[in-house]
Amino acid sequence: MPVRTEIPVYHPDLYAASAIRDTYPHYAALRDLGPVVRLSKHKVYALPRYAECKQVLLDDDTFVSSGGVGLNPVANRVGQGTTLCSDGEEHARRRSLLAHRLTPRALRAMKDTVEQQAAAVVEAAVARRTVDAVEVATALPMSVVPDLVGWPQQGREHLLRWAGAAFDALGPFNRQAVRALPASLGMLRYARGVVRDRSVLDGSMGDDLLRASEEGRIMPAECATMMLDYLAPSLDTTISAISSALHLFATHPEQWRLLKADPGLVPKAVNEVVRYESPIRAFGRIAARDTELAGVPLAEGSRVLVLYGSANRDPLEWDDPDTFDIRRDAARQLGFGQGTHGCAGQGLARMETSAILHALLERVDRIEVTGTPEWALNNIIHCLERLPLELIPA
Amino acid sequence: MKISVDHPRCEGHGLCADQAPDVFSLDDEAELTYHFEGTDVPDEHRPAARAAVNACPVAALRVLS
Repeated sequence: MPVRTEIPVYHPDLYAASAIRDTYPHYAALRDLGPVVRLSKHKVYALPRYAECKQVLLDDDTFVSSGGVGLNPVANRVGQGTTLCSDGEEHARRRSLLAHRLTPRALRAMKDTVEQQAAAVVEAAVARRTVDAVEVATALPMSVVPDLVGWPQQGREHLLRWAGAAFDALGPFNRQAVRALPASLGMLRYARGVVRDRSVLDGSMGDDLLRASEEGRIMPAECATMMLDYLAPSLDTTISAISSALHLFATHPEQWRLLKADPGLVPKAVNEVVRYESPIRAFGRIAARDTELAGVPLAEGSRVLVLYGSANRDPLEWDDPDTFDIRRDAARQLGFGQGTHGCAGQGLARMETSAILHALLERVDRIEVTGTPEWALNNIIHCLERLPLELIPA
Repeated sequence: MKISVDHPRCEGHGLCADQAPDVFSLDDEAELTYHFEGTDVPDEHRPAARAAVNACPVAALRVLS
């Protein structure tokens, strides 16, 4: 393949408030420029197309995470010791410790509880009839995840703010990331206290971690960071997916009718929602050696930015990528990442989102938007902040 | 077409079995069975098998030839 020497450059700030609220035109412009685009503002190589994103995610020997997946050195330092920001054997060891909690078998044991809680959430919402969809979307993950991880009751009121901040802080060093850092560190400090006081719930994931630490399988210091690994990413992401599902079905009534007619489409619908409104905008990787990508030479130490949300709208990969269609086979979407670092909790996320959709299908005839939706300002999470809806009962 | 399965890497998410039920299945313990181990995937199952490889969340499946 001929080596290209001119790498296109993109000057607008992908992390400006306007670009966070209205992000897709930026992704389209980046994809038009080429497979590897230099972001002048952030000194990284953005990968806006599906093929290169996938190639980088699958080649975790060349494109590593241990230098941090965020865009600023402070957050990348805080992230040291997490599963997210480790590689190779160390990553495999950390991931295997908790992955058994998230296998299909482990999840099957939770299925009834998740479905009952989803039914209760939707019943209450239908009774109110006019709701903020984001509040509805928040209720289920908040009732499932903290118990699973074993977070003590005390301190739960901070979880959502902390988890959002933990993501926000991974952006470039802009005003938002700076504002988010104290809350992000607050979460780590609290987690250290939970580990020190051994106040995790019995039989939880956190309990597993403490035991692994006692048995010398992990360092005591890893306990706290690993608790964050499983808590921080499991709230906002799923809240994003459920809110977006409500938004998309409200604005695409013909798709809602398709789903009503055939609830067997729910698994496909979940993939399509995550493809169409990918909850995570982008994470970075660092080239561990001199390499090339799509013919573009990358020196050792170069930081590339995997734009999940753009890869999932790439017309080179998808027919009519800007059309929301639950009949589409979107199983290969990259919204959960892929490969070694592929989202460990995606089975749980799929279960929660499916449970809410099934509960809605049984109880709701139509979903209507009754006010202007607002997107949250977060460097990493693509999530609605407010979405006024009317749920018209079946 | 031959496919290799990295069993230690497989976490049993089951997307392959959704895509290609004639090629992959998961038992109750979420253990993956690949129905064409050591042989070629029959022509009629190739598109589905390829989609299954593409959908594997942890990249435990690989097309060898």
